[in-house]
Amino acid sequence: MKELILTLQKDIIVPVEMDKVIPNVIENLSLEEIKNLELVQGRKRVKVGDLFDVELNEIEGEPRVVIKNSNNKLKYVGSKMTKGEVIVEGDVGMYVGAEMKGGKIIVNGNADSWAGQNMKGGELLIKGSARDYVGSAYRGDWRGMSGGKIIVEGNAGNEIGEFMRKGLIHIKGNVGIMAGIHQNGGIIIIDGDVDVRVGGEMKAGAIVVYGKVDEVLPSFKYEGIVENPVIKLSKKDEGTPIEGTFYKFIGDYVHNKPKGQLYISVENNPHLI
Amino acid sequence: MEYIIKNGIVYDPLNGVNGEKMDICVKDGKIVESVSDNAKIIDASNCVVMPGGVDSHSHLAGAKVNVGRIFRPEDSVKDIYAKKGLRTGTGFSVPSTYKTGYQYSEMGYTMVVEAAMPPLIARHTHEEFIETPQIDKAAMPLFGNNWMVMEYLKEGDIKACAAYVAWLLKATRGFAIKIVNPGGTEAWGWGKNVHSLDDPVPYFDITPREIVRGLAEVNEMLGLPHSIHVHPNNLGHPGNWETTLETMKCVEGIEAKPRYGERETSYYNTHCQFHSYGGTSWKDFESKAIEIAEYVNKSKHVVIDVGQITLDETTTMTADGPMEYDLHMTNGLKWANCDVELETGSGVVPFIYSPKGPVYAVQWAIGLELFLHTNTDKVLLTTDHPNAGPFIRYPRVIAWLMSKKYRDEWLYNKVHKWAQQRSHVADSDKEYDLYEIAKITRANQAKVLGLSETKGHLGVGAEADIAIYAIDPEEKDGKKIEKAFRYAKYVLKGGDVVVKDGNIVKQIFGDTIYVDVQVGEDLMNEVLKDVEEKFRRYYSVNIDNYPVSDKYANSWRVIKIDATDIN
Repeated sequence: MKELILTLQKDIIVPVEMDKVIPNVIENLSLEEIKNLELVQGRKRVKVGDLFDVELNEIEGEPRVVIKNSNNKLKYVGSKMTKGEVIVEGDVGMYVGAEMKGGKIIVNGNADSWAGQNMKGGELLIKGSARDYVGSAYRGDWRGMSGGKIIVEGNAGNEIGEFMRKGLIHIKGNVGIMAGIHQNGGIIIIDGDVDVRVGGEMKAGAIVVYGKVDEVLPSFKYEGIVENPVIKLSKKDEGTPIEGTFYKFIGDYVHNKPKGQLYISVENNPHLI
Repeated sequence: MEYIIKNGIVYDPLNGVNGEKMDICVKDGKIVESVSDNAKIIDASNCVVMPGGVDSHSHLAGAKVNVGRIFRPEDSVKDIYAKKGLRTGTGFSVPSTYKTGYQYSEMGYTMVVEAAMPPLIARHTHEEFIETPQIDKAAMPLFGNNWMVMEYLKEGDIKACAAYVAWLLKATRGFAIKIVNPGGTEAWGWGKNVHSLDDPVPYFDITPREIVRGLAEVNEMLGLPHSIHVHPNNLGHPGNWETTLETMKCVEGIEAKPRYGERETSYYNTHCQFHSYGGTSWKDFESKAIEIAEYVNKSKHVVIDVGQITLDETTTMTADGPMEYDLHMTNGLKWANCDVELETGSGVVPFIYSPKGPVYAVQWAIGLELFLHTNTDKVLLTTDHPNAGPFIRYPRVIAWLMSKKYRDEWLYNKVHKWAQQRSHVADSDKEYDLYEIAKITRANQAKVLGLSETKGHLGVGAEADIAIYAIDPEEKDGKKIEKAFRYAKYVLKGGDVVVKDGNIVKQIFGDTIYVDVQVGEDLMNEVLKDVEEKFRRYYSVNIDNYPVSDKYANSWRVIKIDATDIN
C-alpha cells in the first residue's frame, strides 16, 4: 500500500481545505496525480505540489498520509475518510476528522475547533489540546456524532459532544462550559475539571467527570452514590464499566423523562451534595 | 430579436392545442403570427413545447423564508449551487434567492407567486424579489387576521373593508387577498386557536366564517384578478376535511366578477392535501381526498392547489402560528415564532417526511388522490414549497402522475403500507397526459391568477415565456420524465433564451406584479382616517414609513383596476 508524506513548504496565511488528501483517495493515485490534486484555499484553488513537498512510498498494510510541518491553517484534515491512517506532525486546523467513517487520525499537536464533527466511525487521537465543539453536530443540526472514538490528551473547549448520539469522547484534561449539551447518546469521559452547565438539555447518554465540578444544573435529579458503576445506555447494552466513586444524577429534566446520566467524582467534589 | 421554434409538439390548453406539431414565432418578447427569414431557429424536433410554468403558491421570499434559511445551516450545507458565471447559492429546502430563481428557470418556470407576505414586512419580500432572477414575481399580503379587516367585517361594513384592502394592496405592492387560518393566528396572540368555522376569535368576537365570506365579497366587489386565496382552519389535523368542506361551502353563491382577467372561480383552496384528513387522531388517520375532490368537481366556484408531499426532509413555514407550535410539539425539533403586530404571525419548524412513516405515507397518497380524482381543470400542481417539499421536486410529482408504474414503484416498495390501506391511491389507473400536465402547471394557474391574457399560453400576443422539454409524449419511465422536466432543453423568458440544455445561459430579472385598485375618493378618505388612527395608537411604525416605495423592484408591472363605483 501507499504512504504519502506531505511537508508544508512554508507558513500560510489563508487556510487550505485538505479533504481531498485522504488515505482512501490517495491509494489509487500516482505521485503526479497527487501533486496535481486541487485544494481550495480561500477563494482560490491551489495544487498539492505547490504547497507541499510530496513523497510517495510503498509500505506494508493500510494506506497512510503523513502531514509534516503542519499548522492550524490546514482544515478538514482526514475529513470523510473511511480507512487507513492520517498522521499529523504539528497543529491542525478546524474540522479535523469531520464526518470520518473509519480509519485513524493521530494529531501530534493541538487541534482547532470542530474536531470530529458529525463523526460516524473510526478513531481520532489528539495528543495536544482541542478547542471548542469536539465531536459536535454540524451547526444547526440536531443529529450529531454517531459513532467512533475521540481521545484528546490535553484540554478541550466549550460545548464538546453537542448533540452526540453514539460513540465515545475521552478528554484527559479540562473542558469548558456546556460539555455534552443536547447529548442524546454515547459517552463523554472527562478526566479533568469541567466548567458550568455540564449536560445541559441532555436527553440520553452519559457524562463522567473525574475532576472538579462547581455546580450541577438544578434540573438534574440526584440518585445517590455509586461505586465502580457499569454505564448502560440501553437495555441491550452490555455496559461500559468505569472505576471510581461517583455522585449519580439523571437529567436534564427540562425534557420529559430524560435518560441522561451524569457521574461526578465524589473525591474531588465534596461540596456538591 | 426573432426566434422560430420549429417542429415541436405543442401543448397549450388555454388555446386547446393538444400535442400538435407546429412552429411558434417570437418577436420582441411576444408570440407573433410569423417572423422574418432572419429569425434564429430553435430546433424542437422530438421535443415538447409548453408555455412557461406558473407557480401560484410558493414561499420563496420574505421574512419567514429567511428565518428558515438562518436557522437551518444544516439545510444550507446539503445543497450548494455553484455554476460558472452565476451567483452561488445554498439550501435544499429553503434555497437562497439566486438559487431559487435559477432552479425555477431550469425547470421551465417563468412566474412564481409568493404565498404569504406579512404587510408590515412587505419590504423584505420585495427586497428578496429584487435579488431573485429569471422569473416574474408577485406576493399575496395576509388579510385573514388583520385587525382592520376583522373590525370592518364585524360591523358589516363591506365597502370600508374593500377600500382598506385596496389601500393595503397598493401600499404593500401586493397581488391578492391571502387568508391563513382565519382568526386562528390572531387567537394565537392569546395562546389560543380557533377550531371550527364558527369558533369566535378572542376579543374581536368574529368567526372564521364571517372573515372568509366577508373577504370573498370584498374580493369580488373590487374585482381583483385573483380570487381569495385561502388556507382554511385546522390545517394538518385529523378530521379537518369537514372544516375544509364547510369553508368551501360558506362562499357558495359568491360569483367571480373579475375586472381584470378571465377567472371563473371565487375561492382558491391552497395546499388542499393538508386539509383532506379523516379520522379523529393519528391512529385512525385516513384519506378523505375523494370526498373533497367530488365536492370540488361539482362546484363552479372552487379551485384547489394540492401541496403534494414529496417525502423529503424540508422546512415548514406558515403564517399559521398555532399550527407550527403543534408541529414543534409533535416532532420536537427547533421552532421559530413571530407575531406581526396588528396583522398576522408566523412559525417555522424543520420537518422530515420519511417514506417509512405511516402518517407521511398517507399524506403522500392523499395528495396524489386529489390529483387523480379532481377534474384537471380545477387542480394545480404545488408542493406548497417548502412545506410539503421543495419546488425542485415538481418533476418527480409530474412523473408520479404520468406513470402508474412509477407511482406503484413508490407505493409498494418505498412508502409505508398505510398508503395502500388508508387511501384509494392504489385503485386509480389514471395517468396524466402532457396536455393535463400543461394545465396543472401553467394554464390553470395563469387563468386562476387572472394573468391568462398574456401568461400560461402560446397564442399570438402572449408573452414569449416558453419551455421546451426533451421528452417523448408517450414516455412512461419515471426517471426519464423527472429528468426531462427538471432540466428543460430550452427556456425563453420574455423572448430571450435563458436556459439551454438545463443550464442558465442568460441572467435576467423579471417584473414584480401588483394590483392598484382605485375606489371612490370619499370612501378612501374616510377609511384612511381609521387607518391613521390605528397607526397612531398601535403600530410601531409611522404610516408614512409603511408603504413600499418605487425603488423596491427591478421593474414593476401594475394591474390598474377602476373601482370608483365603490363609494
